[in-house]
Amino acid sequence: MLFWQILIDGFAISALYALGATGFTLIFGVSGVLNLSHGAIMVAAAVAAWALAGLMGAGPYASAAGGVLIGMALAMATYFVTVRPIQRSPRIAESEKEIFILTATLLWGIIISETVAYFFTNNAKTVLPIVEGVVTVLGVRTPTNEFFTAAICWVAIGLLWLLVNKTRQGKAVLAASMNPRGVTLLGIELTSIHLAVWLIYGLLASIAGILLGMFLGVSSYSVGPLTASAFSIVVLGGLGSVTGSLIAAYVVGYLETATAYLVSPAYRTIPALLLLVVVMYLRPQGLFGRR
Amino acid sequence: MLEVAQLTKRFGGLVAVKDLSFSIRPGEILGLIGPNGSGKSTAMLTVMGVIAPSSGSIKLEGAEIGGLPSHKVARKGVGLIFQHSRPLNRQTVLENIKVALIPDRLNMMFHSAEIDEQARAIAERAGLGAVLERKPPTLAFADLRRLELAKAIARHPKLVLVDEPFAGLTASEVGAFSELIREFRSEGRAVLLVDHNVKGVAALVDRAVAMYLGERIAEGTAAEVMRDETVRRVYLGGALTRTTREAAAFAGAAHLLAVQDVVVRYGKALALQGVSMHVSEGEFVAVVGLNGAGKTTLFNAISGLVPHAGTVRWNGSPLGGMTAASVARGGVVQCPETRELFGDMTVRENLDLGGHLLQPADLTQRREWLFDLFPILRDRESQVARTLSGGEQQMLAIARALMMDPKLLILDEPTLGLAPVILETLSKALERLRNTTNLTVLLGEQNVTFALPHADRLYVLDHGKLVWEGPPDRFEAEAAETYL
Amino acid sequence: MIVRGPILRSRTVLAGIVILVIGAFVPLFFSGYVLGLLTVAFYTAVFAMAWDLLFGFAGEVNFGPTFLIGLGAYTAGILDARLSPAISIWLCIVAGAAAAVIGGVVLALPALRVRGPYFGLTTLVAVLILQNVVVVFAGLTGGEIGLSVPDVMSVSETTNYWIAFGFMAISGAILYGLARSPVGLVLQASGQDPVQAGALGFNVTKHKLFAFIVSAFFSGLAGALMVFYMGTASVGTFVDISVGVQIIVAAVLGGRRTVMGAAIGAVFLIGMGEALRPLGELATLIVSLIALAVVMFFPDGFLGMLQKRSNDG
Repeated sequence: MLFWQILIDGFAISALYALGATGFTLIFGVSGVLNLSHGAIMVAAAVAAWALAGLMGAGPYASAAGGVLIGMALAMATYFVTVRPIQRSPRIAESEKEIFILTATLLWGIIISETVAYFFTNNAKTVLPIVEGVVTVLGVRTPTNEFFTAAICWVAIGLLWLLVNKTRQGKAVLAASMNPRGVTLLGIELTSIHLAVWLIYGLLASIAGILLGMFLGVSSYSVGPLTASAFSIVVLGGLGSVTGSLIAAYVVGYLETATAYLVSPAYRTIPALLLLVVVMYLRPQGLFGRR
Repeated sequence: MLEVAQLTKRFGGLVAVKDLSFSIRPGEILGLIGPNGSGKSTAMLTVMGVIAPSSGSIKLEGAEIGGLPSHKVARKGVGLIFQHSRPLNRQTVLENIKVALIPDRLNMMFHSAEIDEQARAIAERAGLGAVLERKPPTLAFADLRRLELAKAIARHPKLVLVDEPFAGLTASEVGAFSELIREFRSEGRAVLLVDHNVKGVAALVDRAVAMYLGERIAEGTAAEVMRDETVRRVYLGGALTRTTREAAAFAGAAHLLAVQDVVVRYGKALALQGVSMHVSEGEFVAVVGLNGAGKTTLFNAISGLVPHAGTVRWNGSPLGGMTAASVARGGVVQCPETRELFGDMTVRENLDLGGHLLQPADLTQRREWLFDLFPILRDRESQVARTLSGGEQQMLAIARALMMDPKLLILDEPTLGLAPVILETLSKALERLRNTTNLTVLLGEQNVTFALPHADRLYVLDHGKLVWEGPPDRFEAEAAETYL
Repeated sequence: MIVRGPILRSRTVLAGIVILVIGAFVPLFFSGYVLGLLTVAFYTAVFAMAWDLLFGFAGEVNFGPTFLIGLGAYTAGILDARLSPAISIWLCIVAGAAAAVIGGVVLALPALRVRGPYFGLTTLVAVLILQNVVVVFAGLTGGEIGLSVPDVMSVSETTNYWIAFGFMAISGAILYGLARSPVGLVLQASGQDPVQAGALGFNVTKHKLFAFIVSAFFSGLAGALMVFYMGTASVGTFVDISVGVQIIVAAVLGGRRTVMGAAIGAVFLIGMGEALRPLGELATLIVSLIALAVVMFFPDGFLGMLQKRSNDG
């Protein structure tokens, strides 16, 4: 019975990790940016949804939608306010741009999370859930929300896959991640590709944040750990590889869940971290990394 | 002094250097000559230890240095002057030279007066006495090259490796540099010069080794190498033949593309010096020139990929200020030397991306036409681009560019590194395009033999300047001799 | 044609001496509160200067200076908490510095093998790991609440100030001297252009490892000293990534690759954070906003801008 519990809980939490990590790695693959304000955007979207429901009385669907819109707006702001100006800045040497962008996104993340804490306090908030209740599956009593979370995550990932592999615009984005110069030569403006990618990223991160908010609740204290876990997963899986992120998310998710149930919840982050250390030493580019 | 025997270097499946053997005596200058992709730079970097050899031996004064890391090779007495100046931009010229004099220890806490004196003396010798306290960003191009030379002198090397010594220099600067290199020889050092142009270094080298596709194809004095049949065939492309169409048809036509006084600088180096040329609708124009002549720079300026002074007019209106993507959408499509394919996508996906502006029905039709033009692409339709052979990749790159339905197709060095058999296929395809469509083509080539039959008009580009323009039948008589 | 380079260098040294003299007189005029603030600022200055050495000169972006600082601080703190009074705090401090150096070497091994963003990532991962280890093994480290050490260096604000001030002055002198020495020149070459440095005969890996060790030593030492000033150690003061960001911003604010600039930036940042404290929760927000503006619009930092102006003038 414990086995099924681990299986189900692990699946849900891994799906959530996977959604966040996919967005994170997409941005790196196409824009070349490691967005360290990732956790902040997730939390901000969740808090926005909570605020819309709690303070304005919106229903669960409407507040979720509102939260997503705000998250997407924040993602766009991240691109236009921190990333793009540095990429185009003549004052910063080319070789140093990545470092500056990393620092800028980190600071931007702090700004967002401090703003959220200022207006809405540090307390944990739970987003109004869309699905409630408990079901018993395979002898395990599980909140229906968990299945809902896993389902939405995979639908989102599936839609992303379809978009990138089957639509013309999606393929352009994929091509841009392989060879930006090639895309320019074919008459496609890279700016529109970047815009599209950050919008998609905002969508994915917001959904992940809101689902997390419904599932476990968020607060501005969650920001750091969320960025850290997305980032560790992506490093494990290989920067820029979506497949890698998906697999790594499940590895980490299950390691955490199994450890929490079998050993102790306090130690749940340890095995994943150990794995990360091993990977950093043996294969720093991650399982599927190519850059 | 230096003995290289059966040196081979493989990068994955690509053999960059194959069984190369040569030797240099003290007080001798050897020229390693070859076009882009011939392996000459790889060979040099392998001797220096920047790249590790796959097999073969490299002996300096009898001791094996092959496989050693570059700092050990340097300490054994080998100095390298890179093709592109690499100064420390935040340090003064004097400090830059001092770095070359400092020993490889962690305990040097204080600057020594001795090193300071030595550095000043070297600077004087290299002609940098006046700019000792200035920083590299403020220096002229020639002075930056002198700095590279000064660093090499500071190493007191037994063997000096020089990569493309005269690139970007004016005639008088070339003279000054040659003198400095000759001084190395008179000091009893061995010098290895790597260059793409035999003529340019002929006056300086004692002997030359010509390379092509990683192998040695000729050896001897500079004059002997220039006369060698294999060398002429490989560099010039062999006997010049021509099949022309009625060139007169374009004489009075309006200029589809008009380039006027275009100047391009890369940092300090002047890559294009006031180039003016034009192409009329339907014309096939070839721009021929050696490596580094400026063909790619010219094309990149036209395509909007590189900032430039001067004007480029397309259909009468200037292209300045337009993004590169919009230039491409406007009908000027470039198929660059590096091809820029989407390696992890299939042939079909690459082509479809090229046709992203077309309606689905037109896209299918165009793709079919291209499969007809390049049948091998149809066979490889579902194959991932990265796994195609060099020739197939080139065909894919051209086909993808043609999917854009361009009015002007710019082809940059399509034959580079390809086997003669593929050249046939490309040649036939170009012929078909010329005869059956109204496509305008601007072709950049080192391989004149390939370019001539497809050109209505030729330009010769040398060191960033246009030195000759005319129809193909006059090329052999007027320009061919000076070209090699 | 005046020789500007040496004049600016001696101008920097002159400015440094002036500031040191001012600093020496501070205890005579200011309250214990200000002294305490400056003490923290001085330790932060050493963190920032050590970071600047590694980044500015060896070209490696350390995103987790707090890994090294935290190792130094926690090693010293845990040893004292467990073994006091059998162990002198100075021994703990030395142990802390040693632990940081070992940590630096352990970090350098994978980090120096990779290029580009992966190096920064490795350092970030190191901080994450340390953070998690401290939290998980709370029995030993005090976890998120923090560790209390039974001993402190001194209870007098003035004495603590002098210790911190002296430490900063000496560390600054050593680090600055190192940066200006021939070894420093080689470090710069290794950072800016490792291929060229190799071709000029320098074992780049050896030099970068050296830079790592020096940076680790000073970071760990400063961290250990600070534990015995504050009497506590916690994740939030020594290990957290936001602390690391503060250090990086301090160095950028003051001017990268100037060593002195990092110290100026640190003092300024701590001072500003304190000045904004009345604003309560907005304080961090405003400091972050200012930091972001600096990173984006004034990347050369204070001293960097001064240097540029004297070069162009």
